[in-house]
Amino acid sequence: MIYLDHAAATPVSTKALDAMLPYFTEDFFNPSAPYLPAKRVREAYEAAKDQIAHCIGAKGIDLVMTAGATESINLAFTAHQNKSLVLATEHTAVLAAAKTRDYDLISVDKTGLIQLEDLRQKLTDDVDFISISLANNELGTIQPLADVVEIIRQTRQERLQRGITTPLYFHTDASQALSLIDISVARLGVDLLTLNAAKCGGPKGVGALYIAHGVKLTPLTVGGGQERGLRSGTENVPGVVGFATAATESKTHLAYHRKEYQKMAQILRQATKNLSEMHSDVSIVAQNDNFVKHKQNTLIPQPIFLGNPKHQLANFIPVCFPGIDAERLIYKLEAQGILVSTGAACAANKGTKSHVLAAIGLSDAEIAGSLRISLGSTNTIEQIQQAATIIIETVRLEYARLGFASICDKKLKEQSADCEEGEPRKDGRSTGFLDTNDSESLGGNHA
Amino acid sequence: MPKVFLGMSGGVDSSVSAVLLREQGYDVTGVYMKNWSKDLPGMKCPWAEDLADAKRVAVQLDLDFEVWDFEADYKQKVVDYMLDEFQKGRTPNPDVMCNEEIKFKLFYEQAMARGADFIATGHYAQTDGKNLLRAVDENKDQTYFLYRMSNKATARTIFPVGGMTKPAVKALAAEKGLDIATKKESMGVCFVGEVGMKDFLQEYLEAKPGEIRELETENVLGYHDGAIFYTIGQRHGLYLGGGLPYYVVKKDLAANIVYVSHNLNDANLWASELKLENLHLRTDLPADGQIQVRLRHRAPLIEAKITMSAYQPATVIFASSIKRPAAGQSVVFYDGEVCLGGGIIAE
Repeated sequence: MIYLDHAAATPVSTKALDAMLPYFTEDFFNPSAPYLPAKRVREAYEAAKDQIAHCIGAKGIDLVMTAGATESINLAFTAHQNKSLVLATEHTAVLAAAKTRDYDLISVDKTGLIQLEDLRQKLTDDVDFISISLANNELGTIQPLADVVEIIRQTRQERLQRGITTPLYFHTDASQALSLIDISVARLGVDLLTLNAAKCGGPKGVGALYIAHGVKLTPLTVGGGQERGLRSGTENVPGVVGFATAATESKTHLAYHRKEYQKMAQILRQATKNLSEMHSDVSIVAQNDNFVKHKQNTLIPQPIFLGNPKHQLANFIPVCFPGIDAERLIYKLEAQGILVSTGAACAANKGTKSHVLAAIGLSDAEIAGSLRISLGSTNTIEQIQQAATIIIETVRLEYARLGFASICDKKLKEQSADCEEGEPRKDGRSTGFLDTNDSESLGGNHA
Repeated sequence: MPKVFLGMSGGVDSSVSAVLLREQGYDVTGVYMKNWSKDLPGMKCPWAEDLADAKRVAVQLDLDFEVWDFEADYKQKVVDYMLDEFQKGRTPNPDVMCNEEIKFKLFYEQAMARGADFIATGHYAQTDGKNLLRAVDENKDQTYFLYRMSNKATARTIFPVGGMTKPAVKALAAEKGLDIATKKESMGVCFVGEVGMKDFLQEYLEAKPGEIRELETENVLGYHDGAIFYTIGQRHGLYLGGGLPYYVVKKDLAANIVYVSHNLNDANLWASELKLENLHLRTDLPADGQIQVRLRHRAPLIEAKITMSAYQPATVIFASSIKRPAAGQSVVFYDGEVCLGGGIIAE
């Protein structure tokens, strides 16, 4: 099996698992109990929190441990009363939390980068909360948070100048970023930051919220007053210990992994490009949903790499094969031992189209043709070489099934006369449905 | 290659049907009929998982696959009919209606409009090109739910697993590696399990609480949360305390009273004849009216005599008393293997 969906979940690392195990059995004590063995568990728990905090340049006391990123996000949103601004491409947890009060969406460009001008315009005096992810969970696009923070700082100053005391909090969801970006809360200048153990080799159901001094939150769960009263309930000692080990591990190997993922991504991108080199001077776009109706003798369209190549998590390779039903690819690849996904796992199995891909301006047909490949610690170069070959061949077969031809097919046909498929026109252009001048919206802008 | 549109539910029966049709050389397009997608309190509608299972199988067999959205029609033709029947104090059978109105009408018509030679489903039933016949697996025979499908549709329908037993279907699925993709039984209607019906009805129908009285004494034994939720013969869910069980024997909808009795021999629970309405005859009935009937899915066939005249409702007469099925349920007629049609039990 070759697993290429690390953005959905990562396996718990061996080190993290080993670190967790004792806290299920011999060191099972309630950290709040009065006897000495329990005190040692308390110490281990606090040390684990310190370790996690250290990974983002904070102190353990600044963290509230939660049952995952979704809870962290919901807790973060209790900081505000009035109106929030969130990026149109945020995870559904952020969008849903925003919708519980007044909110507005900030638009992104075609690569998924925030439109700072849109933020400036929408930052009216009633806005008291902004949530923008550090890196997007479908595109891997890394946001220029320094620019965002500078706008927020200016706004705060300017509000004070006018005697307006409405606070303005800034939260970032860094769930996808922890194992790939060197995060420092001080450098980022955020008030609230969400972390998720399950995306960096830790266990599922464990998350953290970093809370800067002076930010007041309202607990979602009340009870025994654990986590400074912000998250009652007996501490998840093994989970937090596992998170700490995984976070430290990924932080230590961050530079190495980034390099490895870049190499692997390069292999996949190159292989994917080969698919298009079969018809280098043709660009065809799926701009409407009637794509498949005019398919005869059409050449395979250019794959489109999504996201922003300059500002992208190294392990993300989101790619669109126009005209293909990516769900079919998933099942075909699954049958050949390769696991990939279309987008956010939570959206993928509801049959709804990705709001992220819609926000960057993809047509419905393009959204349907988009795959999210995300690399991780389970992958090796050999695996990726193997996967690249299988993926490209599978995509090619799907195109062939739909009646698309490639230059390669043409060569094959010249060798075997009894092939049924039609030939592409001599000038190398599509004989089919779309003129090349319809394609400007995609060709250049996404590549 | 004859073109077939196959209804695929994600279950093992329709998945094996896909394998068989493909092996028989048909040009198969798998279709997931999206009839219902709403979650209800305590009931998660599994449509998205079912769709994914259906599509996985179709793709692995290299079939074309489509989703046809019948939600609006299903709500109108099946759910609204069902609610209306319950409102009248009857116990309808939504699967019968779904087959008549959706699968073997809308799905059939849309497939034909798309140039199909046949449609196919994973039902356990057979046809001889004209008649609807019982399945080989007597334990799984689904003709009880199919008797209202039109003759036109029957002539163009293939039931690929109708000649197989369920164990054979499962074995074939395992052999083809489909057993991991399709774990569960496919359900007729995703949201109405036996348990879910009351929750479902409560979501849609206004119900008034009222008295539960003992039939013989008129004593008030307790209270119910809506007479429409109770079916004649029901003994569970009455919350009347321990002791001998009570059975629902009568409902007075106007007064909103549910009558119960200890007496299993109460006349209300038994019948020697049933009046039918809304007959659907697939073919001529025997001149002497001697037929076999099925009163419930999987119930044994029993001998009966049907009388019909222009002035009187059709009546099915039994040699000895039978346990009375609820009004709104179907009685399905057979002559040996051939399903002759059926009707719906009136009051």
